[in-house]
Amino acid sequence: MYVNQRVAIGFVLAVVSTISTALPNIQHWETDNGARVFFVPTKGLPILDAQLVFDAGSVRDGSKKGLAALTSTMLNEGAGGLTAQAIAEELESVGAQLGASSSRDFTTIKYRSLTDKTTLTTSWAVLKKVLNQPEFPPLDFNREKERTLLGIKRREESPGTLAQLALYKAMYKEHPYANAISGEFESVRNINVEDLITFYKTHYVAKNLIVVLVGGISRDQAEQLVGDLLNDLPEGQKAVKIQAVKDIVKGAEIHREYPSQQTHLMYSLPVLRHNDADYFALYVGNHILGGSGFSSRIVKEIREERGLAYSAYSYFHPMIEKGPFLLGLQTRNEKVAEASAAVKAVLQEFIENGPSEEELIAAKKNISGGFALKLDSNKKLLGNVVSIVASGAPLDYLDNYLQKVESTTRKQIQDAFKRRVEMDKMTLVTVGKTVEEQQ
Amino acid sequence: MSLWLSENKMRKLSAAVFILTIFYSLSSFASPKNVPNMVHEKVLKNGLKVLVKEDRRAPVMVSQVWYKVGASYEHDGITGLSHVLEHMMFQGTENLEPGEFSKIIAENGGRENAFTGADYTAYFQTMEASRLEVSMRLEAERMQKLKLQEKEFVKELQVVMEERRMRTEDKPQGQTYEYFKALAYTSSPYRNPIIGWMQDLEEMKLVDLEVWYKRWYAPNNATLVVAGDVQAAEVFKLAEQYFGAIAAVEFDAVKTRVEVPQLGIRRAVVKQKAKSPYLLMGYKVPVLNSTDNEQDVYALEVLSGILSGGGSSRLASNLVRGAQVAASVSAGYDMNARLPTLFLFDGIPSESRTLKELEMAINEQIKLLQEALVTAKELDRIKAQVIASAVYEKDSNFYQAMQLGMLETVGVGWQKESEYVDKVKSVTAEQIQAAAGKYLIEDHLTVVHMQPQSDVLEEKELADVR
Repeated sequence: MYVNQRVAIGFVLAVVSTISTALPNIQHWETDNGARVFFVPTKGLPILDAQLVFDAGSVRDGSKKGLAALTSTMLNEGAGGLTAQAIAEELESVGAQLGASSSRDFTTIKYRSLTDKTTLTTSWAVLKKVLNQPEFPPLDFNREKERTLLGIKRREESPGTLAQLALYKAMYKEHPYANAISGEFESVRNINVEDLITFYKTHYVAKNLIVVLVGGISRDQAEQLVGDLLNDLPEGQKAVKIQAVKDIVKGAEIHREYPSQQTHLMYSLPVLRHNDADYFALYVGNHILGGSGFSSRIVKEIREERGLAYSAYSYFHPMIEKGPFLLGLQTRNEKVAEASAAVKAVLQEFIENGPSEEELIAAKKNISGGFALKLDSNKKLLGNVVSIVASGAPLDYLDNYLQKVESTTRKQIQDAFKRRVEMDKMTLVTVGKTVEEQQ
Repeated sequence: MSLWLSENKMRKLSAAVFILTIFYSLSSFASPKNVPNMVHEKVLKNGLKVLVKEDRRAPVMVSQVWYKVGASYEHDGITGLSHVLEHMMFQGTENLEPGEFSKIIAENGGRENAFTGADYTAYFQTMEASRLEVSMRLEAERMQKLKLQEKEFVKELQVVMEERRMRTEDKPQGQTYEYFKALAYTSSPYRNPIIGWMQDLEEMKLVDLEVWYKRWYAPNNATLVVAGDVQAAEVFKLAEQYFGAIAAVEFDAVKTRVEVPQLGIRRAVVKQKAKSPYLLMGYKVPVLNSTDNEQDVYALEVLSGILSGGGSSRLASNLVRGAQVAASVSAGYDMNARLPTLFLFDGIPSESRTLKELEMAINEQIKLLQEALVTAKELDRIKAQVIASAVYEKDSNFYQAMQLGMLETVGVGWQKESEYVDKVKSVTAEQIQAAAGKYLIEDHLTVVHMQPQSDVLEEKELADVR
């Protein structure tokens, strides 16, 4: 989960523009039943990538925590008369790839195939069945449920995972973002096939769907493929708006004892929705604070100056409702107090005084100079387009990105951090073993 | 300084879920037929080999410098040295302050890192294509003018120990894999962890690094690989300009250190503070670099695909779905290691089943392969996946450069890349059966059972506190 989240941020935060780089031509249309389609034709490789993004993340679980994730896991375990084995055989006989997974906000089906006619026809037919006619066979359901339960049990083997779960629980409280995507032992145990069918019928509908295609096919082909894929998908109802995240009144410190050599530390606050007016100021600012590896202040202080951690970072993770701003590191147990004080001091100094002019110039150079790297493969193009359209950003987002980065000022960064990152409201979570401090 | 890698990036095992990654990472080569861009090679007078792969899809390039040194070049007492040196390569040279290398790359819009494996240490930058010269200038500087300083070393060693705690001490399966390797290998240097034993890290001295750097960091022990929107002629010119004057170093041949024959099954139990048990099994097998019998190596490669290449493969089909004895299970084989390696299995039994049952189920699958031919359909599926993957991999300059650099550095030669698809396609069912019979035999097997001990240990610790 931790890893997924970092990846998602990469998509969202890492999009900038220079003049020399060809920007993707994002074509857009809507199907008769209301699905929104986005297509980027590419040249050079006979590959088609597609992502089907449903507004159906774990935030839609209700009392059945883990339902969205289990439903997406089950999609290719039997569909349209094909068993799980037959689905895998059909796809792999042509070297195609298909998978589905859920985040807090979304459920995404990912597809990759070669574009020659036989391959595309075979693999697309499987995708169509998986999307339209999943069968949720009881035998497979019971097995996947058991595997999910084992996965939940195994979260206890990872202090990093435990820290993140404790953090979300403490910050989001009654909000559905508080829950683990894969659910809890008790909740998953009580989920049955009927729950999956209901969830599928309610949420896997055209009005709730964004389709993104990137690859070496024509517009005509794209329209034909999508038409064929979605023809029978019910129009359905658009999912209701996710409730807002309540403001935190006062921060908290939470420690969980764990028999590890390192303590995992996370320091966080819900801050950003998609397309927030402060986004660019916070993004460029965080690049300097803890978002750009060795050039960032947190790494310099925690790793380069003090040798306290292998990995130390900060990020903003914009979500449909307020996603977290998070500072994280892991250090040997006897140094946790020093690391905690140091990372807080770095943040406080940054909020009070903002970045230096020199740092800001360097950050802009890095972001704009590295823009071409963000769009240099079909995979990365796809990731960028998905995050643009799923977040509801305008389609010319990439065209204006660099200009917005370049026009960001020190004052804007300082001002945005002051208003948005209130340290007295932040939650500190530590998971590790309590030992005597070492100087 | 690497933010991410210390363990060999090509390592095939961790826990669940890698079934796909394992296979795809193995099948990473393209046939010349569907690849318009070819590899250009030039060797400078000082021995530096330069490889260029042009790809004009985007105005970017990746530049990688590969050194023939890694954990398998180390001996007892100095384990982890190659990896710590990799960290120190970012900590200053005669003309660059500590951290300045990274600062310059960042200001040029670049991304950079490095990784250390058993058989190689590699450094890379991905940048907009016109910045190639920046990366060459900096890599040439640290190839010859590294300034190892005590203050940076003391701090960086702490960082590496934190890295080890994160990846090994606090990861039950990671730590189990260390014990597993140390049991499986007797005289092969693969028995030591890439990141090094903690005690060796604690006793490491700056002078150890100085010796190691002088010994291995030289143009005639390195390969420069550039892939992306570049002209080969221009890359060769820049390479000559920046690396051409660096003197070659005379090398002692690396000691062979062959693994002594294994004379019977090896077993161990590793107790961990974990929640679920974990099984590791490994058979001693040859690799491309160690044998003239290529046919066996490609047969083992396809065999790993039959077992573990995708959701329709035998382990997923028979053990996860059919018998439901495994919650996850996979097989893996790295045919591109420098030295003979292990054909690996790992898995987690499903909740109601035991390690012993999972081990028996894997043994049955091996027996099946030894007794009967795999079907034509299975074989065709593996080949179809290999062919498709070869195209998918064209989507990443980094990956293509990595394949060339790795093959060259382990001694196989980069040219092998272009043979891969055809060699895999030529493997027959009979060859697979023969390979299973020849190599997957009990006398060459090591088995480790990781047993969860959470409750017992916690109680014991409480008792100790009292």
